[in-house]
Amino acid sequence: MANIQMQQLKKNFGDIPVIKGIDLDIKDREFICFLGPSGCGKSTLLRLMAGLEEISSGEFLIDNKRMNDVPASLRGISMVFQSYALYPHLTVRQNLAFGLKIQKLPSDEINNRIREVARTLQLSELLDRKPKILSGGQRQRVAIGRAIVRRPKVFLLDEPLSNLDATLRVSMRVELARLHEELQATIVYVTHDQVEAMTLATRVVVMKDGAIQQFASPLELLHRPANIFVAEFIGTPKINLFKVEVQECGPQSITVTHALFSNPITVSIAKEIKFAAGTKLTLGIRPHRLSTKQSLDCTISAKVTIVERLGTESLLYTDLGLETLVICSAAGTVPIIRGDQITLGFSSANCLLFDDHDQAIERCLPADVQLLIS
Amino acid sequence: MLRNRYTPYAFLSPYIIIFSVFWLVPILFSFAMSFMNTRSRTWQFDFFLNWGRLLEDELLWQALKNTFLIIALQVPAMLMLAVFAAVLLNSKDLNFKGLHRFAIFAPIVVAEAAYAVIFRLLFNDNFGFVNNMLALINIDAIAWTNSSSGATALIAIGLTWRWTGYNAIIILAGLQNIPKDLYEASELEGTSPWQQFTKITLPLLKPAILLCLVLSTFGTLQLFTEPTLLTEGGPGGSTTTVAMYMYSQGFKSFNFGYGSAIAYLIVFLGLTLSLLQFKLFGGKPDE
Amino acid sequence: MNNSLTSRAKKLFINVLMLVISCMWLIPIWMMMIYATHPDNVIFSGELVFNPGTDFLKNFAILQGKQDFSMAIFNSVIIAGVSTLLGLLVASMAGYALARFAFRGRNTLFALIIFILAVPSAAIVIPEYIIVVKHMGLSNNYAGVILPYLANAVGVFFMRQSFLNLPAETLEAAYLDGASEWKIFYSIALPIVRPALASLGIILFVAHWNDYLWPMLVMTSEQYQTAPIALGRLIGLANIEWGAMMVGASLMTVPFLLLFLILQKQIIAGITSGATK
Repeated sequence: MANIQMQQLKKNFGDIPVIKGIDLDIKDREFICFLGPSGCGKSTLLRLMAGLEEISSGEFLIDNKRMNDVPASLRGISMVFQSYALYPHLTVRQNLAFGLKIQKLPSDEINNRIREVARTLQLSELLDRKPKILSGGQRQRVAIGRAIVRRPKVFLLDEPLSNLDATLRVSMRVELARLHEELQATIVYVTHDQVEAMTLATRVVVMKDGAIQQFASPLELLHRPANIFVAEFIGTPKINLFKVEVQECGPQSITVTHALFSNPITVSIAKEIKFAAGTKLTLGIRPHRLSTKQSLDCTISAKVTIVERLGTESLLYTDLGLETLVICSAAGTVPIIRGDQITLGFSSANCLLFDDHDQAIERCLPADVQLLIS
Repeated sequence: MLRNRYTPYAFLSPYIIIFSVFWLVPILFSFAMSFMNTRSRTWQFDFFLNWGRLLEDELLWQALKNTFLIIALQVPAMLMLAVFAAVLLNSKDLNFKGLHRFAIFAPIVVAEAAYAVIFRLLFNDNFGFVNNMLALINIDAIAWTNSSSGATALIAIGLTWRWTGYNAIIILAGLQNIPKDLYEASELEGTSPWQQFTKITLPLLKPAILLCLVLSTFGTLQLFTEPTLLTEGGPGGSTTTVAMYMYSQGFKSFNFGYGSAIAYLIVFLGLTLSLLQFKLFGGKPDE
Repeated sequence: MNNSLTSRAKKLFINVLMLVISCMWLIPIWMMMIYATHPDNVIFSGELVFNPGTDFLKNFAILQGKQDFSMAIFNSVIIAGVSTLLGLLVASMAGYALARFAFRGRNTLFALIIFILAVPSAAIVIPEYIIVVKHMGLSNNYAGVILPYLANAVGVFFMRQSFLNLPAETLEAAYLDGASEWKIFYSIALPIVRPALASLGIILFVAHWNDYLWPMLVMTSEQYQTAPIALGRLIGLANIEWGAMMVGASLMTVPFLLLFLILQKQIIAGITSGATK
């Protein structure tokens, strides 16, 4: 039961700033994911919370109490490491008991807690084994068990699923969601895998270069990304971007053009914003919003360079002479092959616009999306 | 981690204390002593007394000559043997590997004093096992302890027996680090086994061999126990090593100052030789 | 086929050659044990004997009559044992600090240790003797032999290397579990590097057991001498009892040969990782 606040939290390694002033307000029982490319500072931020790194400046509070100088073991947190970090020379039972013994809990209390945790995580059979002979999934559960058994207010998880194979990762993901329900605790989870973030988190912190890019719910990140970085980082395959030029700026819409577009396209916006005609903006359109069948509001004609058949969908890559290939996600059975000339249609309602500083221009969401987000 | 600043020093303190008292202080003390006249009633600085004597002391030069003769004879022969033994031990064609490894490696746990007395018996001029065996094949008895060449050879043989296994272990580890596919690839190109050995094995073993060379040179430079117990430095001082000479100056003549100067000479020679070896046989000193 | 014939010839050649080398290497050890069981007149007769005799106990009695060899073995066990245990503790504490903490002076200290590795021990034996025997008065005292052994740079280097290979997250987990630095060290870090401790321990034990010059300087009285010194003294006598000498050599060698048989892997690991970093 804990809320967490960060105010202008900073961390320098020597002269190099790695966390550049984080402000964050996490509510009780939230499942928060720190998402970002490697080197963005997400793990460092977690380690600052854990007390494994010293905070350079700023405030860090759990339940409104300042934690900056509180030793790690007294912060009411527990952490699950990427490598699991089990004590290799101790049995599962001893691994679970290690921290409790240091707290000098009575032994029946320790036994009760271990029994309870072992039941929740199906570890009962494994209690007297050593980590070496456990499978990856079992080790992962022991690591989680070791975190739970201490009954912390906040759980910190550092890429806990990244060492598991794909199938196991999916089942552990479901397990984690169930545990969050059961434990009713605040969870902070670091990952570079957007699927994990999208499926598990109540809200996601997208980070880059030691700073927060956006803090929002998963669907909001997808549909209302704050800037180009978030738009590109969230959603697979990656969003298609076009450098467009403003033709006309109305009170509720902007009309833009691009050499490859069949016609100028008018995107409705939520708030009035003025751009001079000729201003360069960026227009984003997600691959599955491009249609090979309908013309919709605007079309692009293209020659297919690569077709990737993924089964349920086909990814069509077309080289339009832009910086990156434009991707269209079509049906798995679409009869298009390499070299075909195709026409890609899209509608203005699905277009995202970004200003000349890469920041999103707030748009009117389609009604169905609006409903989901709010 | 939020750590106490003094924690690392607490962990280090036992070592630092012992290290200071029993290494650092002696080394500095020794350096100071080498510039002192330690035979006068109160020790006093006499800058060139000991270091000057180093140059004109014929006994020291004899000891240096003896030591370098053993290094020059024994170290290369032993290293060749060690490479040879390691290659054989690594061969997939060799049977009873465990037994052979035991035979070659076991001497590394045998004390210098123990094998010195064993060799002294086996190589006894009059009734030793070795001369008896030689007699069987009609070779005249060799004066192992009564001739200077015999005595030098005896020490070289003893050292080789004791240390070949140690070096073979290091070289074997080097051999096992060579990726197998290098050999497979060269086999496809039709390289002969001998070419494989000279073009792949030896060049890739160079760091390991260099390490053995430096360690062996350093070790032999300090050679003390074997000549003391095997030949007692004889006959006629022909197997007296620098370390033995230092010992006799320090602890028999109680000339600590001169003994310290000899000790520094050993350090200096050791460092120079290993630098020279690094230079000559490629490889950077930090590898 | 020609090919298989040459490969069989090669195999035969390799095996015969290695057999010859191995036999030559085993002869000194074998003959030591043989001569330990025969009376001296057999040795002096120049007769070739390859089989064990029956005089082992007689030779041992002669040995014990000349020098208290049992006491020498006991001294060796105490000195090698205590210096190994204390040496492991001191070296692993220092190695742990060098591997796990960033602190002022770390690089200087480590450079100093590397430098020490390159200084031959012969170079400091004279000042060491003056300090330990003359100033501390530790002549004929176990501590006098043991204390300098504890400043073991190889051990610190070796343990530092082992602790560097230890995953940082495991120690961090213990830290988050509330363990003190000392508790992290002795109940997590040390048990994990147990194989390295075993390797280093054996190597230290063998080295201290075998050392000759230093105990000879400190332990001047017969009561405190170690086994190698006892052997060295016996060979200095005018009338050498060879059988007894071989008993002494066997007593201080055979246990280590058995140890080597059992712990070959650890010993080799110690030599290679200590030597090749």
